[in-house]
Amino acid sequence: MRLAVSNLEIPWDLRRRGLKDSIRHDKRVREAIKQNLRELIGEETIITSDGQKMIKIPVRYLDQYRFIFDRATNGRGVGQGPGNPGDVIAKEGDGAGGGPGGNQPGQEIYEAEMSLDDLTRMMVEDLALPWLEEKAKDQIKTTTVRYEDIRKKGPLVNLDWRRSLRENIKRQAAKGETKVGKITDDDLRFRVPEIHEEYQSNCAVYLLMDRSGSMTTEKKYITKSFFFWMVRFLQLKYRTVETIFIAHDTEAAIVPEKDFFTLSNSGGTRCSSAYQVALDHITKHHPRTRWNNYVFHFSDGDNFADDNPRCIRLIKELLDVSTMVGYGEVNYDEFFRGKSTYTPFRDPPWSTLYRQLGTLHHPRFIPVTIERREQVYEALREFLKVREN
Amino acid sequence: MFEDRLIEIEKLAQAAGLKPFDTYFEVIPLDIMHEIAAYGLPTRAQHWSYGKVYNHHKIHGEMGLSKIYEIVLNNDPCYAFLLDTNDEIENLLVGAHVLAHSDFFRNNVYFDGTNRNMVNEAVDHARRIDEYIERYGLERVEHLMDMGFALDRHLDSHKGLNRKRYPERQVVEKEVVRGAYADLFGEDGLSLGTAVIGEKLPPHAEKDVLWFLANYAPVEEWEKDVLEIIREEAYYFYPQFETKVLNEGWASFWHAELLNRYVDLSPKETIEFARLHAGVVTPGSPMQLNPYYLGYKILVDIKERWDASYAAGEAKLDGWGKLFEVRATENDISFLSNYLTPELAGELKLLTYGYADEEDADEEDIEIKSREYDEIIRQLLAPRYNYGAPKIVITEVERGELHLRHEKGSLGDLDQRYAEKTLGYLYELWKAPIYLETTQDDKRVKFFFGPNGLRVEAGIGLPALSVASMAA
Repeated sequence: MRLAVSNLEIPWDLRRRGLKDSIRHDKRVREAIKQNLRELIGEETIITSDGQKMIKIPVRYLDQYRFIFDRATNGRGVGQGPGNPGDVIAKEGDGAGGGPGGNQPGQEIYEAEMSLDDLTRMMVEDLALPWLEEKAKDQIKTTTVRYEDIRKKGPLVNLDWRRSLRENIKRQAAKGETKVGKITDDDLRFRVPEIHEEYQSNCAVYLLMDRSGSMTTEKKYITKSFFFWMVRFLQLKYRTVETIFIAHDTEAAIVPEKDFFTLSNSGGTRCSSAYQVALDHITKHHPRTRWNNYVFHFSDGDNFADDNPRCIRLIKELLDVSTMVGYGEVNYDEFFRGKSTYTPFRDPPWSTLYRQLGTLHHPRFIPVTIERREQVYEALREFLKVREN
Repeated sequence: MFEDRLIEIEKLAQAAGLKPFDTYFEVIPLDIMHEIAAYGLPTRAQHWSYGKVYNHHKIHGEMGLSKIYEIVLNNDPCYAFLLDTNDEIENLLVGAHVLAHSDFFRNNVYFDGTNRNMVNEAVDHARRIDEYIERYGLERVEHLMDMGFALDRHLDSHKGLNRKRYPERQVVEKEVVRGAYADLFGEDGLSLGTAVIGEKLPPHAEKDVLWFLANYAPVEEWEKDVLEIIREEAYYFYPQFETKVLNEGWASFWHAELLNRYVDLSPKETIEFARLHAGVVTPGSPMQLNPYYLGYKILVDIKERWDASYAAGEAKLDGWGKLFEVRATENDISFLSNYLTPELAGELKLLTYGYADEEDADEEDIEIKSREYDEIIRQLLAPRYNYGAPKIVITEVERGELHLRHEKGSLGDLDQRYAEKTLGYLYELWKAPIYLETTQDDKRVKFFFGPNGLRVEAGIGLPALSVASMAA
């Protein structure tokens, strides 16, 4: 027999096969995240993050499907140690998973890091404010600077360190050196700023939220997560959009964004109050001729009955001065939960307000209903899907 | 010099009766070790799932949860990989361990049919798959591989890798046995009758699912090739799966033996060696056996028992002779059922465990179920058949539709979510509806997978229970 220990200096680092396939796996995980957005959209950790940071999404390693046994069978196995039959050897939260399959990567969770912008982009990439028109006057010009080109000459502030260093390493490598050498002018690379000008329509979005006593924690959570994603979407896609936050119980007021998301709730409900505030604001600041106005209102519909006719009238008036009015009804009622499926304009259990609004049949009035967290995504899509003019 | 010392140890191995392949050692960085461990063969074709395992090894390695000491490839010559960050004594121990694995690959009967040129063969597989990726796109090839990997545990290790298609339909004359005791009743014992071959597809329940699909499903030539590649690699790894405990026990037994015989260790190295060995053959936990420890303990026990009976004139073989016989002829199933004695199971404090309430899907508590020897053996052997996968056979092709049966035995039901996805793959390959007979909660059911996805039908002879429709 022969035995040998290889002294070949194989440049292992250049292979990176594992890395390549691992990147491929990550990519597929991202695709899977995309397919599960409706579940992620309700994730508290995301909503409560401060918006700028990278967020960590717990994801499972991608499953590889095959015929496997059920949970009870997978949970059985042979081990060794002290104890008597009936003794519990692993409890919930031990991460024990159990069984021979317990240490398979498929059941493990790791954290995919992603910026909130990336996640928002995934969610809203095919969404847009509907019927957005260019209003002739007051078009706002936005300029952005993007670095898209690389040149050998330029001001030092625009020096691209990474590329310059790479050039140096390449030059050294050509000489057979494996280290960074003296940096010459020839190595330097500069980023070239290019100024992009974009014209955007004047656009104002009114976000109206019911903060009355009947809005339970879960209803409020659904409402807030809807508005959270709405704001993220607007910030990402429309740099110049103006957002106006209005909170109401029996009375309404314009509130700053940071308060809007932390308001506590109490009192009765008079939706018309919020509509009135929005209407006043629009007529005063955002006339229809020059602005695209969008009004989104979220409530549980638990409105004082005598207020309903007034609501209808105000909504009609709002429709005259805005591009679109959206009404979302959050009906997280234990009794009805699970009995009705999400479809706009379905029969009860929706509120009298909802039913009366349904008779409006205005093409630019969009009502939706939400019963569960997962439906926030569908509501967002229903409001913001691309529509024909 | 490490190499010189390893050659000394190899001489000790030869003298002790081990007959390893020519063995080439490669000392590599940790990251490459993770990579090779993920792929199983360093030359294998790319697939995202290897990236997943690689990622897992890497995270575990970096967190210090596990360390991969060596990888040995069943190949002639044998290739072994050692860590460049290990001490010399660590790598000497691992080297001795590797030589015993190499000996096992070469001399255990279950490895007889394996391709000893797999390292090169896999290069060719990878090249072919790269070509298909270039021609048909990564997404398509990857998806086909997903489907292949979903089914690659359903092999027939008795029929083997190389098989011919079933015979075409023909009528043949055949000796027919009338009945075992027919002659006693004055009937003719044997006579000629006619039999029809190849009338039914498959003629018998077919266990090699990938082989059947590659040969009988309406797949393109290149798709067939990809499925065959996956199948071939699954066959190559099967003996390693079915001899895990014995193979690791054998290697652990011999690294201890060889380093004990090796006189050229410094005192410091001797202590280090003892510490390392204790780390390898350390008892498992209540929910995880250590195959190194279990295999090692059984082999030590065999040695002692046969030495004793040989001395007493009760056995033909002494301890050494018996060990080499076991190494040549057993796999885990026979090894554990023949040589794990009730006494040893008691001494090792073996136990079976399971969910406290197996009916409750939310149950999290796991409890000790039994210390009965029979139950331990049963649970120990159950996952050692068939890559630990449920036994699924193809029973029939009827009007173009594919019928499968889950031969459950005493094991559990199928996980429905996984079954649904896998049946979807089968549907995609077969391009016609798929039926799978199985059980759920002791009731016979039939999974039907058609254009609208999965439907669960109540079993034959039973009234319809519930029809759960789940669109794919």
